[in-house]
Amino acid sequence: MTDPTLDWTQQISGWLAGTDIELLELRGPGTRLRLKRNGSIRSNGSDDTVQNGTAAGSSAQVVRAGSVGVLLHAHPLRREPLVRPGDAVRAGQALALLQLGAVLLAVAAPRDGVVKRLLAAHGSTVGYGTPLVELE
Amino acid sequence: MIEILTVGALTTVQDLGRLGALRWGVGTAGAMDPMALAAGNLLLGNERGSAAIEVQVYPFRVRFTHDGAFAVTGADCAATLDGLPVLPWSAHRVRAGQELAFSVPQAGGRWRASRAYLCLPGGVDVPEVLHSRSTQLRGAFGGFEGRPLRRGDVLRSAASGAEFIASDIGLLPPALAMPLERDGCTAIRALPAAEYGRFTSASCVGFWRNEWKVTPHSDRYGFRLAGEALQRAAPMEMRSHGIVPGVVQVPPDGQPIVQMRDAQPSGGYPKFATVIEADLWRLGQAPIGSRVRFIETTWDEALAAQAELEAWLVEAERLVGLHRNSRGTA
Repeated sequence: MTDPTLDWTQQISGWLAGTDIELLELRGPGTRLRLKRNGSIRSNGSDDTVQNGTAAGSSAQVVRAGSVGVLLHAHPLRREPLVRPGDAVRAGQALALLQLGAVLLAVAAPRDGVVKRLLAAHGSTVGYGTPLVELE
Repeated sequence: MIEILTVGALTTVQDLGRLGALRWGVGTAGAMDPMALAAGNLLLGNERGSAAIEVQVYPFRVRFTHDGAFAVTGADCAATLDGLPVLPWSAHRVRAGQELAFSVPQAGGRWRASRAYLCLPGGVDVPEVLHSRSTQLRGAFGGFEGRPLRRGDVLRSAASGAEFIASDIGLLPPALAMPLERDGCTAIRALPAAEYGRFTSASCVGFWRNEWKVTPHSDRYGFRLAGEALQRAAPMEMRSHGIVPGVVQVPPDGQPIVQMRDAQPSGGYPKFATVIEADLWRLGQAPIGSRVRFIETTWDEALAAQAELEAWLVEAERLVGLHRNSRGTA
């Protein structure tokens, strides 16, 4: 292999070791590099979504960040949070927002449920795959 | 396509305005908040100046007759789609039969605004008249049949939205990204205009120092403000002359009128100041009853403010495009 990006993976892996980032994905024309925290390195993968982890034997579901960003529990125009623990939510409803510069990405509920816990603080910078909200 | 189910007064189709027609006595019209219109279009991947629906009286309700997409921007009117909340300043996919509702913007938010925009894929498909799709109410042309929307009207979008993939994406409103306030009031930058020097020096100081209330006689034609009257140093009689949106006229009672997007192209009152183009959207969103202040600025600062808005739009377009492309390669 002569792909120069592979020369960087060692360095990037070293940096990632000091963070709670679980997965790093780099994309360019025709190439895709994915670094997963458990050590496996995979390139040219086709999976584009973070799978929502479902705890075995329970109905709880952790909704994870689908992007890097600053986590917002309330829309910047509003004082009220989007959801509070105990709120019933419907599939597709926004549970939180991830801000990347001027852009706000909604973190949508994958299914109907009740918000059990908010797992990351308002205003915190989160990585791809960071647990954000627990639904039950 | 959408069908209008509930609509208040003066809900119109607008784009960025009918520029270049003043020579024929045709005013510019166009969105009162061109930043909100452009942002909604960017979210859908439209041209920035695509036509959209400007709502200023609530409630407003439409039904989508086909699968597609939409974006809402401008005032936070607690929009809902089939009863589920739709975030302000965001774009969404929609299915045939779903109903989108806007309600009166609430005062408790972090930006008090009055006008909301509904953008559709490719823009609202109405004929272009004199290079614009904006409704020219005075001349009764442009927009949708040259008139405000009514219940039962059916509007087409220029594209189906079927290829729209960047759902659940939004933008931070420019009012928060580029706030401008002075002593708790929305601030508007303005330049002294031709007859500024013919008012008393006390009035020239007071205009910039005092608060101005947006009176109920404020609309798309002009904002009539109330405050400490601006006094002429000597009686003034003027012939009618050309005016443009942003011009601050002072009638004999001393209460200023800021010309807005539906301003007629000529007037005869003395011109005290001109709101810079880059801040007209801030005033255009100021609710009736709210208070505004004017900040004296310079030509160079006015151009820099316009460049700042342009840079914000370019960056927003880039970020939305990145997001759309990343979804598109899945």
